[in-house]
Amino acid sequence: MVHLAFVALFAITQSQSQGPAAPGAAGAETHAVRGRDAAADAQLQFDAARFDTLTASTLRAILDSARHQGLPTAPLINRALEGAARRRGGSEIIAVVRQHLAALTNAKVVLGEKSTVAELDAGASALKVGIDANTLSAVRASRSAGEAVTPLVVLTDIVKRGVPTSTAREAVTSIARMPHSDDALLGLQVTVARNSLRGPGMALDALNRYVRGTLSGTMSPPAPATIDRKQARPPFP
Amino acid sequence: MTDRTLHFPLPDEYEDAELRARVAAAYQAVPTADPAQVERCARAVLAAAMHAPAERRTGVVSPRWWWGVAAAAVLVVMTSRPWRPELARNEADSAFTASRPITEPRGATVEERGDVTRFDLVLPTEAEEVALVGDFNGWDENATPMVRRAGNTTWSARVPLPPGRHIYAFVVDGRRWLVDPLAPQVPDAGYGPTNALIVDGTN
Repeated sequence: MVHLAFVALFAITQSQSQGPAAPGAAGAETHAVRGRDAAADAQLQFDAARFDTLTASTLRAILDSARHQGLPTAPLINRALEGAARRRGGSEIIAVVRQHLAALTNAKVVLGEKSTVAELDAGASALKVGIDANTLSAVRASRSAGEAVTPLVVLTDIVKRGVPTSTAREAVTSIARMPHSDDALLGLQVTVARNSLRGPGMALDALNRYVRGTLSGTMSPPAPATIDRKQARPPFP
Repeated sequence: MTDRTLHFPLPDEYEDAELRARVAAAYQAVPTADPAQVERCARAVLAAAMHAPAERRTGVVSPRWWWGVAAAAVLVVMTSRPWRPELARNEADSAFTASRPITEPRGATVEERGDVTRFDLVLPTEAEEVALVGDFNGWDENATPMVRRAGNTTWSARVPLPPGRHIYAFVVDGRRWLVDPLAPQVPDAGYGPTNALIVDGTN
């Protein structure tokens, strides 16, 4: 009996060490997500053949620096490959990768050590748009580790489309706290994107209507048309 | 044969007094028209001219003014649908967008079975080739060419994607990079904007 009590106490201690938002099974799931994330990060290899020698060696140094800081290298390699695909010069590619490394460093500080690669990359993009650290922290607090990617992507997009940061933060965090609300968040993004084409102020008005409807339950998120197909985003009209 | 116009003189134009008196008496002898007969003739002429019955029908099937009011009310209620505001708003959105000619690319992403995601792109102009590039294919223009669908402006590609966040863009004719304006956008990193896609893998 004493042995069982120790085992139970150990289990409780472990679950609490995951933080208040990730108890028990959620903590195990987070480990699985992080493991998959790390595997994905390791799979993306740096293809030096797509760069000139000087650029490739500089990029290697930047990637080594990122590894030493415990930062993921996949987002940096992606930025470099994107620059090569766009036929940009070596100096421009290096500048972009360095900027992204700095943004990833800040994102890791704000979002926390347990954040996944996708969360850090999305957080870095959010910081580049001009979203402040407090807003990122609020989004982090609304979701457990590994589940803040969608709120961060939606937040970045709607701020980029002209919604004030404070309004966007309130909208995204309030919806993100609801269970299984990723579809609702993507619906918010589509609503803002469509209405931002109509002129200034329309996106904000649409956002307010959408949030009120979602929180009160009168507006349902976009549902799949059939069982075997799920829309990641509604098709073009 | 003569083509001269016949002239019938009035009684005052006759020089002979007797003749003048006889003509005047003949005019006065013409009987006066019956008012009822005049009315019947007028009604018949008007009815023929207006293609309408001479007399208005009365009864239960005659039109009523409130029929129009009721039809207008039904029309307003059906189009505004106050009991389903989100549906009415969506239809209004679609109508607004559909009324505009395509001036910029439109895209869509659909998660299909087996971790496959379909990318659709409608271009405002024709293109020779369109490629999908992203972090899932190493940003290689030759890795994922899109297939032309109906017409020369609709393109599609199916890509197996693991769950997570993916960044992508479209390359038209090997030189022009495009993004879907309505999809979530990743801020310009210094090269140009790209789109973000989140695959949840629940399908």
